[in-house]
Amino acid sequence: MSNTIQGLPPLDPGRFQRAVEQPSGNRSEFLDTLQKTLDQAQEVESDASGKVTDLITGKGQDVHSAMIAVEKADISFQLILQVRNKIVKAYQDISGLQF
Amino acid sequence: MNLFSMLDISGSALKAERERAEVVASNLANAETTHSAEGGPYQRREVVFAAKALPEQGFAHALAAASDVVVRGVRVERVMTDPTPPLRRYEPSHQDADAEGYVGYPAINPIEEMVDLMGAARAYQLNVAAVQSTKAMILQSLQIVS
Repeated sequence: MSNTIQGLPPLDPGRFQRAVEQPSGNRSEFLDTLQKTLDQAQEVESDASGKVTDLITGKGQDVHSAMIAVEKADISFQLILQVRNKIVKAYQDISGLQF
Repeated sequence: MNLFSMLDISGSALKAERERAEVVASNLANAETTHSAEGGPYQRREVVFAAKALPEQGFAHALAAASDVVVRGVRVERVMTDPTPPLRRYEPSHQDADAEGYVGYPAINPIEEMVDLMGAARAYQLNVAAVQSTKAMILQSLQIVS
């Protein structure tokens, strides 16, 4: 009855970094940027989650600020999704190369 | 100036309009209130809006406030009370009647208040439309890559 719904645990960013780490040990700027964007998106998402929780538990008073936070999270996610699509497409293009 | 500052500006306007509607609701609710905490009948309230630089604090705020080309959100600077004297009605049996038998009622015109409320509701709607357009613009720019 009183089971609470737990939020998803955050992604372990290290898991992805190790997989694509460059052999020289220097992290590329691109990877840093990607990491920063991912962190930012996660921050925006947890802000939205907090505001919606506040709203439905009666702590929040502004409906619009929760809605705007949700929109921001949606936009951040769309951005990450587009970047991911682009990376996957680049990978597929390379793996499909024939000599 | 980041991706979301347009959303923050519209958000500040939504908050300000909500506060304005709250003040109008308070005026309507107290249109017949003959005594209040500050003594005398309820006094009509009115909001004063002021432009504010976004974000609200920190270095970015100081920089934005000092620069000329800056977009600004809005906030309710203060809620002022309308100094119009109360309406006097002859009701000697009323508990708030003065020595001459007159009771002070707030000088609130419900029609004016309703028009103000409509204004607040329309302005809110307009800012919601601005939020939606902003989102559509950002999502469109994301479509460039795909």
